[in-house]
Amino acid sequence: MHRKVAFIIGKKRLKRNVAFTISIYILVAFSIIAIFSPVLTPYDPYTITGTPLEKPSMGHILGTNDLGQDIFSRLIYGTGITLFVGFVGGGLAILIGTFVGIVSGYYGGVIDEFITRGIDLLMVIPMFPLLLVLASFLEVSMTRISILMGILGWTMFARVIRSQVLSLSEYNFIYGAKAMGASDSYIMIKHILPNILPLIIVKFVFAVQTYMIMGVGLGFLGLGDPTTISWGQMINRAYTNGGFALGMWWWLLPPGLIIAFLSIALSLGGYSLEDKINPRLRREIEIS
Amino acid sequence: MRIEYVIKRLFYCFLAFFVGISITFVILHLMPGDYISHLLINIESTISPEASEAFKHKFGLDKSLTEQYFIYIDNLLQGDWGYSFEYGVPILNIVVEKLRWTLILLIPATLLSLLIGVFIGAYFGWKSGSKLDLSVLNVMIFIRAIPSYWWALMFVLIFGFYLGLFPLGGYMGIGVLESGTDYLDILHHSLLPMITLTLCSIPGNYYLMRNSMLLTVGEDYIITARGKGLSEKDILFKHTVKNAMLPMVTMITLELVFMISGSVFIETIFSWPGMGMLMIDAMNARDLPLLQGIFLMDTLLIIIANFTADMLYSCIDPRVKVGE
Amino acid sequence: MSLLRIIGLKAYFPTQDGIVKAVNTVDLEIEKNERVGLIGETGCGKTVLGFAIMRLLQPSTNIEGRIMYNGKDLLKLSEEEMRKIRGKEIAMIFQNPPTFLNPVLKIGYQIAESTQLHQGLDKKAAKEKAVGMLEAVKIPLSSKRVSEYPHQFSGGMKERAMIAMGLACDPSLIIADEPTKGLDITIKMQIVKLMKEVTRQGSMLFITHDLGVAAEICDNIAVMYAGELVEYAKTEDIFKNPMHPYTRGFLNSLPSRGLKQIRGISPSLIDLPSGCRFHPRCDHIEEVCKNWHPEMVECDKGHYVRCLQYG
Repeated sequence: MHRKVAFIIGKKRLKRNVAFTISIYILVAFSIIAIFSPVLTPYDPYTITGTPLEKPSMGHILGTNDLGQDIFSRLIYGTGITLFVGFVGGGLAILIGTFVGIVSGYYGGVIDEFITRGIDLLMVIPMFPLLLVLASFLEVSMTRISILMGILGWTMFARVIRSQVLSLSEYNFIYGAKAMGASDSYIMIKHILPNILPLIIVKFVFAVQTYMIMGVGLGFLGLGDPTTISWGQMINRAYTNGGFALGMWWWLLPPGLIIAFLSIALSLGGYSLEDKINPRLRREIEIS
Repeated sequence: MRIEYVIKRLFYCFLAFFVGISITFVILHLMPGDYISHLLINIESTISPEASEAFKHKFGLDKSLTEQYFIYIDNLLQGDWGYSFEYGVPILNIVVEKLRWTLILLIPATLLSLLIGVFIGAYFGWKSGSKLDLSVLNVMIFIRAIPSYWWALMFVLIFGFYLGLFPLGGYMGIGVLESGTDYLDILHHSLLPMITLTLCSIPGNYYLMRNSMLLTVGEDYIITARGKGLSEKDILFKHTVKNAMLPMVTMITLELVFMISGSVFIETIFSWPGMGMLMIDAMNARDLPLLQGIFLMDTLLIIIANFTADMLYSCIDPRVKVGE
Repeated sequence: MSLLRIIGLKAYFPTQDGIVKAVNTVDLEIEKNERVGLIGETGCGKTVLGFAIMRLLQPSTNIEGRIMYNGKDLLKLSEEEMRKIRGKEIAMIFQNPPTFLNPVLKIGYQIAESTQLHQGLDKKAAKEKAVGMLEAVKIPLSSKRVSEYPHQFSGGMKERAMIAMGLACDPSLIIADEPTKGLDITIKMQIVKLMKEVTRQGSMLFITHDLGVAAEICDNIAVMYAGELVEYAKTEDIFKNPMHPYTRGFLNSLPSRGLKQIRGISPSLIDLPSGCRFHPRCDHIEEVCKNWHPEMVECDKGHYVRCLQYG
C-alpha cells in the first residue's frame, strides 16, 4: 500500500517537473515583457490616443478606456509592478522569515522560546487589514507597499523554516561541525542553509504568487499611487467606471485573466517543486 | 491537568489580546493625516481652528499618546469601545452590527468549505494516485490560484449580470422598504458571495487534508489495523480520518485569517454591509477609533479561533492533556 | 497435516534502485503447538516473510509460491476471506509498538476491536475481554489501564498491550515480529517469560535477531540469510551442533561465546552474491562455493542445512 503510494507519486513527480519548467519559462517571458514594455507597446499608456471607450480594432487591439487611453499598452505596462510586488514583497518576507527561523531553530532554548512565543503573539494581529490601513494612510507608492507587505508577512515562513531547522539540528553533521569548532554563523550558512534551500525556494514561489495576487488586489481596492499603472487599478477602473455595466469585456477581462494566468503558472510550479522535495509525501516502508 | 492547561491557554489569550491591540493602537496613532485635517481638505476650511480644537479636546486627541493609550485601555476594560468620528455612535454597536452581516457569509462558507474540502481531501488521500485524483488536484490548484476577487467579479458578471439569477450586490432588494425584512430576499442576496467565499476556501482545506491522509496512510498503526482483519472502511473511518484531522484543527486560525482577508474583497465587490466594507469606509474617512474597533474585533475573532483550536486539539489528541 | 506450510515462497519488491529479492524460495512448516524461531540479521528478509504470511505486503510486491494454512492457500484467498483469517486465526505481534499503536485511540478500544469484529462481542463484553487480556499480559490495574492511551504506557507495557491485541481472539498461529527489540534487558526477559507462558498452547512463528530469546521460547529454529533459509533444526541441535558456517558465526557473536563478529557485511538484497550466498563472508570457502548454489539437505534427522560441505 505504502510503496504503491510512493510509486505513483514518483510518476506524478516526473510530470510535475515539466510543469515547473513551463512555469519558469512563463515567468521569464513576463519579465522580458516587463523590462521591454516601452518597446512593446504601440502607444504611450498615459496619453490619450483615441476616443474614450473604443471597441477593439486594428488601431487599439483591446480598445480604449473611459479616458481614451490604449488598454493594451496599459496592460503591458502593468506587468512590471505586479512582478515587482511579488518578488520584492515575497522575497522580503522569505528573507526575514528564513533569518528568524534559522536563528530560532538553531539556537533553541530560551531564544527559540522567545521567538516562537513572539510569533504566536504577532499572528493574532490581523495583518491584511493592517496592511490596507498602512497603505491607505501613508499614501505610498506600490513599490513601498510591497516592502510593507514583506515586513508584515514573514511570520508564517519563520514558523515553517524553524521546524525544518529544528529537525536538522538533530543530525550528526551539525554536531560534527560544532565539535570541529565551527562558529555558529558558519554552521548556519554553510550547513543549515543549503539543507533548507529547497524548502525556501518552494515557499518563495508560493510567496511570489500570493503577493502578486495581493498586490493586484490592493490596486483593485484603490490603494497605492494612482499614477502607477497596475492591473488591479485597471480592473477597478473598468469595474467602477462602466466597463462592467456596459458589457465591455475587453476592458475588464484582460488584466484579471492575465493575473490569473500568471498565478496558475506559479502555483503549478510551486506544487511541482513541493512534491519533489517533500520527503514526507514520499514515505516508503523500510524492509528489514 | 486539564484545568491547568485551559487556564494557561486563557492567560495566553489575554496576553495576546493586549499585545495585539497595543501594537495596532500605536501603529494607528502614528499614522499621518487625522480625521479633522482629512475633513478639512474635503470641505475647504469651513471648520474654524477653534472648532477643530474643540473636536480634538472632546475626543481627547490633545492629550499625549501615552495618556490616550491608558484612557483607551481603561475604557475598554469598562466595555467602552469609544465613539466613531464618522458615524457619531458607539463603535461597539456598529462593529457588532456589521459583524453580524459578515458572519452571515462567513459561518456557512467556513462550514461548507471545511466539509467539502475535508471530504474530498480525505477520499483522494485514501485513494491517491488514480487519474481522477490527479485531475482533482489540478482543478483545486487552479481554483486556488485564481484570486478571490476575480472569482467574485466573474460570478457577478455571469450569474448576476448576464444570467440575472442573482442580484448584482447589496443585501436586500428595494421592495424591503415597503414590506419589511424579507429573510428569503437576504438569502438570495447572500448566496453568491457565500458561494464565492466557499469556493475560494475549499482548495486549502482539501490540500491539507489530502496531504495529511497520505502521511497517515503510511503510518505503522494502519498496518496493525489491517493485521487485525479490519475492513478498509473501518480502517479509513476509525484509524485514519481522525488522525489525519489533527493538522486540520491547527489550521483553524489561519483559515479564519484567510477568510477575513478574503471577505474584504468579496464584501466590496458584492456591496455586502459587513466588516470588510466598514473597514474600507473607516479607512477612507480616516476614522481612527472605528478602525481601532475593527482591529479589536478581528483580533478577538482570531484569539477565539486560536483558543477553540487548542481546545479541540486537546480533545482529539489525548497526548496534549498530560504534558504540553 | 501441518498447520502452516510455506512452499517455495518468493517475495520481490520493485524499487527505483532495482528489484529487492527479500524472500527467496523459502520452505517452512509449522505444526500445531509448535513454536518456530526465525533467526537472522536485520535486513535478511525475515519480517517480509512474516508480512507475506499475513498478506500485509504492498500490492506491488511480486509473491510466488504457496502458503498453505489448514489446507488452504492463503495467497489464493480473496481479500475478504483473508480478512477473516487476519487477527482471528493468524495474528501478528508487531515490533516497535510506539508506531504500531494508534496514538489517538484507547488501548482498550484497540484490543476490543478485533474481538468485536471476529467474535461478535458487543461493546461491553469486548471491553471486559480487553481488561481480561491486559490482566493476562500482567498489566497491573488493568480495569483502569484499559481506558488509557498508548502514550501513557511505558515501552514494556506497550509491548504487552501489543501482545494482548495479538492474542485477543485466540489465534491458532501467532507471528511475533521481534517483540523484544529495543527493550532493556530486564523488561526483555519479562516479555520473553510472558510470551512463553501465553503461547504454551498454540503455534508461533517467532521472528528475532536474538538467538538467546529464541532459545528460551522456540522448539525449532530456522536460520535465514539473504532471503533464504540456511539451516533448520531443533533448538538444542542448533546450539549444540550448528552446521552452517553462518549459524556458527552467528552463535560466536553472542556475548556468552566471545562476541566474535562475522567478517564482512550482509549482502544487498538487490545484488545477491553468486553461488552460495554466504561465500564472501565464509571461512571455509572453496572454489565451488562461488558458483554453485547449494540446496537444503537433511544431514541429521530433522536437521537441514544449506552448505556444500554437507552436500
